[in-house]
Amino acid sequence: MDAILENLPLYWEGLLRTLFLSTVSGVIALVLGTLLAAARVSPVAALRGFSMTYVEVLRNTPLTIAFFFAAIVLPRLGVTFDQFEVAAIIALSAYTAAFIAEAVRSGVNSVPVGQAEAARSIGMKFSQVLSLIILPQALRTVIPPLINILIALVKNSSVAGAFFVLELFGYGRQLANAYGDQVLAVLLGVAFFYLLLTVPLGILASTVERKVAISR
Amino acid sequence: MTTHVPGDALVSLNGVNKHYGQLHVLKDINLNVRKGEVVVVIGPSGSGKSTLCRAINRLETIEGGTISIDGKVLPEEGKELARLRADVGMVFQSFNLFAHKTILENVTLGPIKVKGVPKAQADKEAMALLERVGVGHQAPKLPAQLSGGQQQRVAIARALAMKPKVMLFDEPTSALDPEMINEVLDVMIQLAKEGMTMIVVTHEMGFARKAADRVVFMADGQIVEDAKPEEFFTNPQSDRAKDFLSKLLTH
Repeated sequence: MDAILENLPLYWEGLLRTLFLSTVSGVIALVLGTLLAAARVSPVAALRGFSMTYVEVLRNTPLTIAFFFAAIVLPRLGVTFDQFEVAAIIALSAYTAAFIAEAVRSGVNSVPVGQAEAARSIGMKFSQVLSLIILPQALRTVIPPLINILIALVKNSSVAGAFFVLELFGYGRQLANAYGDQVLAVLLGVAFFYLLLTVPLGILASTVERKVAISR
Repeated sequence: MTTHVPGDALVSLNGVNKHYGQLHVLKDINLNVRKGEVVVVIGPSGSGKSTLCRAINRLETIEGGTISIDGKVLPEEGKELARLRADVGMVFQSFNLFAHKTILENVTLGPIKVKGVPKAQADKEAMALLERVGVGHQAPKLPAQLSGGQQQRVAIARALAMKPKVMLFDEPTSALDPEMINEVLDVMIQLAKEGMTMIVVTHEMGFARKAADRVVFMADGQIVEDAKPEEFFTNPQSDRAKDFLSKLLTH
C-alpha cells in the first residue's frame, strides 16, 4: 500500500499522460475512421477498395505490430520524431481508426436506404447525403460500439509503456521494479487508475444513448 | 398506341432496358411525357412500373437506351446528376421523410442546402407549402409524430419546395391506411389541376380516371397500352389489360 500512497504524484502523472495519449489518438481515430467509413460507402470503387484493405489489415494484425512500425520502421523511412509519444499516437490512432470505420459503417447501414434515396432525389451530392442525412442518424446506433472502442483505446495505450513512453502503465512498471515486494499492490493501483478513466466513459455511453434515442 | 411528338417532351425515354440478373424488368421502353401532362402508370405487381419511375431520376440505373429530362440526357453520376435530380420531384411509397429533422426542416433542407436559398425565405416558402397540403400546424414536429397520410403530404411539400419541372409518384398511397388515401389523392389532384407535369405509379384507378391525361399500362416490363383514361377503362385493346381490369372490377 505504501508503494501507492508514496507515489501518488507519479500515478497522477501517468494518468494524465494516458489521458493525453488516449484523447489525442481518439480524436484523430474518430476523424480518420469516419473518413474511412465514408470512403467505404462512396460511389468510387478505388476509395472503397482502399478503405476495405486498410481496415482489414489494421483490424486483423496485433497492435504491437502497429507500434513497431510507427516507432522503428517509419524513422528508417525518414519519418523521424523527437519523442516516442508521437509514434505511439500514430500507432494508436491508425489502429483504432480501423475499428471506428467498421462501427460507423455498420451505423450507416442501419439507416434505411430510403433516407439516402430521398436525399438524393432532392438533388443532394454524396457528401451532403452523408453529412446531413445519414451520419446524424447513424450516430445514434454507433455511440455504444464507439464507446467500447474508446475504452479499448484507453487500455491499448498501455502498449506505449513498452515503447519507452511514460504513461500510467509505464510508470507502473517502474514502480513494480522499485518495489519488488509490493508488485501486486502497485499493479492494483495501476488498474484502479485505469478504471478512473474507463468507468466514466461507460457511464457517458449510457447517458448519451438515452439522450439521442429517436423514434421512427 | 398513341404516339406523341418527342420534340416537345419534358421527360423522354428511348429504348430503355434493364435487367435484375436474369429478369428483364424494362424491355425497350419508349415514353414521352409533355409539359403539364399527367401520366398514370398502372399494371400488375412485378410489371416494372416502379422501376420505370425510379429510373427517371436514376435511383435505378439502366443498361440500354436514354432518359432525358427537358432535353438533357441523364448523366451517370456526380454533380450534374444531382443538379438534374433537383428538377425532378420524387414521392416514395414509404414517405422517407428525414427521421431526425422536423417537418419544417424536411421541407427547407433541399432549398437551403442544394439551391442556396436564404433560411428566412426557405422557411416562409416551406410554411406556405405545408399550409397548402394542410399540415402547416405540424411544422415543429418530427415525422414519427405524424400519421402516414400527413407524412406523405409533407413528402409532397418537400418535393415541391425544389420547384421541380416534373413530379414522380411511386405508389404514393400504397402504404397508407384506407381512410388516409383520399387526403393524399386530393393534394395530387389539386397539383394536377394546377398544371404540374406528373408521372404517377398507382393502383388508384379513381385517381387515374379523375386526373390522368394518359394511362400507361405495363405488363412484364413492357408498355402494353398507352391511351386516354376513358378509352383505356372502357375499351382496353390488349388481353393483358382486359384481364387486369376484370380482376379489379370483380371486387
